[in-house]
Amino acid sequence: MGDDVTAVRAGAALVLAALAAACSGAPPSPGGLRDTLIFSAPADATTLDPHNTTDTESDQVIQMVFETLIGFDDDMRIVGRLAERWEVADDGVTWTFHLRPGVTFHDGTPFDADAVRRNFARVLDPDQRHKRFQLFEMIDRVEVVDPETVRLITAYPFGAFEPTMAHISAAIVSPAVAERFGAAFGTTAEATAGTGPYRVAAWRKDQEITLERVDDHWRGTPPTRRIIYRPIAENAARVMALEAGDVDVISRVPPPDMRRMEQAGHVTVLRTASIGAQQFRFNVTKPPFHDPRVRRAIAHAVDRRAIVDTLLAGFATPSTSALTPIMRGYANLGEIPYDLARARALLREAGYPNGFRTKIATTPRYPMGVELAEVLASQLKQIGIEAPIEVYDWGTMVQFWQGLPPEKNPQEIFIMGAGASTADADWGLRPIFQSAPTNENNYGYYSNAEFDRVIQAAMRETDADARQALYRRAQEIVYLEDPGAIWLFDNYYLVATRTAVEGVTPSALGTVTFTRATVRD
Amino acid sequence: MAGAAGLLARSLAAAAGRTLPVLAGISLLVFLIVHAIPGDPAVIAAGLEAGPETVERIRRDLGLDRPLPVQFASFVTRALQGDLGISIRTGLPVAQEIADRLPFTLLLAAAGAVVATVTGLSAGLLAAVFRNRWVDHLVMSLTLVAVSTPSYWLALMLMLTFSLQLGLLPSIGIGTPAHFILPIATLGLQSAGLVGRMTRATLLDVLKEDYVRTARANGVPAARVLWRHALPNALVPITAVIGLRFGGLLAGTVLVESVFAIPGVGRMMVDAVLARDFPMVQGGVLVVASLYVVVNAVTDAMAGVLDPRVRA
Repeated sequence: MGDDVTAVRAGAALVLAALAAACSGAPPSPGGLRDTLIFSAPADATTLDPHNTTDTESDQVIQMVFETLIGFDDDMRIVGRLAERWEVADDGVTWTFHLRPGVTFHDGTPFDADAVRRNFARVLDPDQRHKRFQLFEMIDRVEVVDPETVRLITAYPFGAFEPTMAHISAAIVSPAVAERFGAAFGTTAEATAGTGPYRVAAWRKDQEITLERVDDHWRGTPPTRRIIYRPIAENAARVMALEAGDVDVISRVPPPDMRRMEQAGHVTVLRTASIGAQQFRFNVTKPPFHDPRVRRAIAHAVDRRAIVDTLLAGFATPSTSALTPIMRGYANLGEIPYDLARARALLREAGYPNGFRTKIATTPRYPMGVELAEVLASQLKQIGIEAPIEVYDWGTMVQFWQGLPPEKNPQEIFIMGAGASTADADWGLRPIFQSAPTNENNYGYYSNAEFDRVIQAAMRETDADARQALYRRAQEIVYLEDPGAIWLFDNYYLVATRTAVEGVTPSALGTVTFTRATVRD
Repeated sequence: MAGAAGLLARSLAAAAGRTLPVLAGISLLVFLIVHAIPGDPAVIAAGLEAGPETVERIRRDLGLDRPLPVQFASFVTRALQGDLGISIRTGLPVAQEIADRLPFTLLLAAAGAVVATVTGLSAGLLAAVFRNRWVDHLVMSLTLVAVSTPSYWLALMLMLTFSLQLGLLPSIGIGTPAHFILPIATLGLQSAGLVGRMTRATLLDVLKEDYVRTARANGVPAARVLWRHALPNALVPITAVIGLRFGGLLAGTVLVESVFAIPGVGRMMVDAVLARDFPMVQGGVLVVASLYVVVNAVTDAMAGVLDPRVRA
């Protein structure tokens, strides 16, 4: 049976891993430190293939096992990783990366310029149906200059090229392992190999993923030998497992629980400003939402402070733009004031002095998704807008968001989590607000001619100041003048640890890095 | 009961004949349901940031662009050969995914059934013997509580008490046998309440029968009347209830596996339904339904052994 072979292979891999660890002569952990840290999220990773990932739980593990040429540091600045330095030519399209010498993949394959070439050939091959294909569409070709130098040439000057290359899906996988396993790359421990400070030692689905540290990694040897990812689906059970000391770190806990644990004082709550923001979007093709005054009225009718303080226990900040402050290109345009008189005046001006009837679609997939819709409905009632709530599961919800023409889309106001995974204005604004015939990414059919012009110019602008000015204008349009959404608040990414845990760094991208983490006995 | 083994074999063969149409019906029903509910697996798999070409490519790749009857025919032909397809969510063969997880679910359901049977039977016996006395009232109140407690709440309360406050048992996971105590208790106790109430009622009925009165009149000791005359007769309906409860136990594993982080089939199915992972849902339901059918065929056959009248 194939299953038995896999089991035997997995067993053999484990034994080998144990032997390798025993023989490597690594110094034992300093006194008082545990050699294992257990992290618990609500779900298992679905894939460990960086070119094929679209969910955070997979990214959690991928960012420990794989590395990109350039990456984000803790403060979201772009720094060298597998590339020591890089530069762009005057033509704005030729990017040269000088690679770090002496790096090998976990399977022993050397990392070099040809490995980079084969990686981008892989992710850009339309036949391999990688989910992250579109992120890298602007890459025209990849040239190997010498084993330590590689050139990426884009089809047009692309202002967001660096953050795109820092995206986890630009990670370089072992070409040997990728070619051996094909589409099955990243589906098991044996079929996964990167250059990161940890390698995958075992993956038992829905049970645990065990990462073993790589000794003498170029970034240094991590202090904790093993990181175990153990999914616990139930929020309440995850919290109890942490409080009972059965796991060391947990993520994705509802903010009120985080507040309770923090106040009880027996766990440490870490927070970081994130790329994620919560909003409700308008379907602007449905009257009366075609009128910007109606959308501005609604924006003024929402009490964001109250939402943040009550529903989120203070673990968020009211939005100040269409992007979050941590993102490249963000411009601070201030909170939209909660002003019912102004809201009523705008509605009157638009011809709806007594309000109107609409509906709000939401999904519990977003934290507090249903509660947020309830609060929004009650706040809209203050200006005469009746908005009953419709609750959908995620699978049904995304149905409305994939390439429907407006006449086939019944949604009017709907919940949406924003968060461009490149942490850059281009990916955060262009796909979701640029005019398009269907709503494949522009879920609310937003369309504004000036916005389109500005966003296209900004995309091709490589001068930092000019780019920033263009994005500021784009945000003024979509956030203030012709609002595309009801921006509510910018999320914190929240992680709770036992007090014995130190050196855990939550990232704005919603992942946690353990390369410096320690667990005291 | 000389021919009990042969009898069991014959009942099982007959049950197998009834089983195949049931499984075929279930397969068709599940196929129709998963395709009727809103939600497109290709869209979900592609993720929000993907474009329409990616979605189309995934859809073609999964064979979801073919007409429904063709998809069903290909599912059935392959299922008959033991091939349940490839999971959309994980990219691994469904049969392997189920095989990896089934042992945990079976262990939970079987151990839950044992807990339910042992505690339920004892409670029922106790209550019947001491009927209308305080023991009866106490036991019956406890079974009522057990039956009406939602297992989700029970699971969290057991965890809160035994892991967090007393520190006696691990909270979640599957590392050691101790890890399974709370999940099995959660699963078993609810069914134990039902079995207990059923046992008491059946026993009390049987104890009113003429042959019991005759036995007593003939001076048979009370214990012997209970063990030799009343209990075997009461066991027939009780066995049927336990067989039927097995379905409830399998369903209960969904919650228990989620709360206690046990990598079983129940939790896999929840994730599969949410991701509209059609092959996984179809394969999972087929396997779980087969199990249920088999368990009930076995209990039917046992009823035949226990009760000669059923054999006719």
